[in-house]
Amino acid sequence: MAKAAHARRARDAHNPDLAAKPIAPVSAWVRFSNDRRVLAYLFLAPALAILAFTVVYPFFQAITISFTNKMAGASASFVGLANYRELIADPVFLKVLINTFQYTLLGVGIKFLLGLTMALVLSQERPANYIFKTILFVPWAVPPVVAALNWRWIYDDFSGLANHILFALNLVDEPVAWTGDKSIAMLSVVAVVVWSGTPFYTMSFLAGLKAIPRELYEAARIDGATTLQEFRHITLPSMKPVFTVVVMLSTIWTSTNVVFVLLLTNGGPANATQILPNLAYKFALLAGRLGTGSAVNMIFFPILAVLIVILSRKMLQERMR
Amino acid sequence: MIKTIEGQDRLWRWIGNAVLVVLVAWTLLPFYWMFATSLKKHKEIYGMGTTLWPRDPTLESYRILFFETDYMLFFANSMKTAMSTTAVTVVVASLAAYAIARLDFPGRSLIARGMVYTYLVPQSLLFIPLFTILVAVGLDNSLTGLSIAYMGFTIPFCTWLLMGYFMSIPVELEEAALVDGCSRLGVLVRIILPISLPALAVIAFFSFTLAWNEYLYAVVFNSNPSVRTIPTGLNDFITEDVFFWGPIMGSTVLTVIPPLIVYFIFQRWLVTGLTMGAVKG
Repeated sequence: MAKAAHARRARDAHNPDLAAKPIAPVSAWVRFSNDRRVLAYLFLAPALAILAFTVVYPFFQAITISFTNKMAGASASFVGLANYRELIADPVFLKVLINTFQYTLLGVGIKFLLGLTMALVLSQERPANYIFKTILFVPWAVPPVVAALNWRWIYDDFSGLANHILFALNLVDEPVAWTGDKSIAMLSVVAVVVWSGTPFYTMSFLAGLKAIPRELYEAARIDGATTLQEFRHITLPSMKPVFTVVVMLSTIWTSTNVVFVLLLTNGGPANATQILPNLAYKFALLAGRLGTGSAVNMIFFPILAVLIVILSRKMLQERMR
Repeated sequence: MIKTIEGQDRLWRWIGNAVLVVLVAWTLLPFYWMFATSLKKHKEIYGMGTTLWPRDPTLESYRILFFETDYMLFFANSMKTAMSTTAVTVVVASLAAYAIARLDFPGRSLIARGMVYTYLVPQSLLFIPLFTILVAVGLDNSLTGLSIAYMGFTIPFCTWLLMGYFMSIPVELEEAALVDGCSRLGVLVRIILPISLPALAVIAFFSFTLAWNEYLYAVVFNSNPSVRTIPTGLNDFITEDVFFWGPIMGSTVLTVIPPLIVYFIFQRWLVTGLTMGAVKG
């Protein structure tokens, strides 16, 4: 602003028209509201107000509620660590914790490999490649609820597509209970997570691949490198920053997503697919036990907090410099 | 062993093409299955021997959906929620992003960091306390309340994305206007926003689809059927005994159309824009 005012004065000095005219008095309000700092806070006010209401305050509430016996529609009293103690003493909770790790690891791992495969295949040259790009990205625009319902119908015991294909190929004698069989229910749910979540990886990886300088590959060619060697020594190392950010982001989102488990199995059969966010939902919504539900989330939060801190540092480094 | 570079390239091209066929099938199969089911007759869906394509296509499922369920109400609710979330987010995020990108003020980097943190706080952590807060202020069972709750996710991401975009615009463009006596708000509206249209398209798409797709908040905050949005309405269809897969698949077909239309229109900008926001600083 100071620079602008200075420029204006310098210009006006050489402009007889302006120099002759008396300058209108500037009111205190105009001066106040033109101040860079005041203006900045005015511009930020709506965003900060909404975020305080929807994220910051609820976040601290989540911590406090977990130490109370808050029920839906009732007032709460402080119970200390009772909710946490109850959860940790419950053998089912340990199983749910392990399930959550398993679910996240499988989901993120498969999405990563499939996403990288998609990105590599799409980065090859072929006629009308953009059509294939569009197709492979499509699940990303599909509401997760729609994806979950579609797959639930694909998994249907007698009328679903999955069993139909297996029967047609003579691979099975009786229908597979995709979401009802304890040993494969988790994999069935993860398949849907993968279908729905892979395009995000593909997009990010494709952008990462494009950013690698062509010259690196040309130089490697001249040195007689094979495609596999190029992949190992150029592509993978160059993609490392993208890999880290995508995997961390996706770990946060995958491990806290409720929709797929809720709509496909609701944690069943016999808690085989029960994960923490769904358990929190069950406590809070079905039993009305908001305090316990919050405690379920808070137990997992330290892991998320580590990811959030590292990830935000990486994102800020790149942008704020 | 293939020795020549050309032979090696050809081999990889064919491996790539073969893998691509599998990936396309994997991606499209669910779409085909929902579309085919939505056109089948009830008997054909549940009868012995699944058919891959409707023997006798009918729009019966869609008729049930339109005339015997509240689908149109859910659709209207979703549209209202998504539109208002998008409109408010675009305005609020533009202002905030401009302040962080251009106006040097005390606490600037703190607020930038705050934006990232709020963006990364997962929804599953917030739905319980936010529910009690909305009840306390009387915004539960309300589309307005739901919209505001969604802004908790759209504003941090959209501010972050716009911030990066604004920073890439040369300052000189604004300086000329400021010298001519244009206010900061005028600069933002007349100079910065018009050249940021691709980024605005991305944040509009992001806000719209988030509000259109969201399930957890919608099911927790809005239990009253009159304020249901599509995702929660769809799932209710399943729990009602009289409801069947034909109409459910019909409703998923219809539900997927609005985001797909927006996706196809904005595709080029979206892919670069979203990865720019999430991955590439």
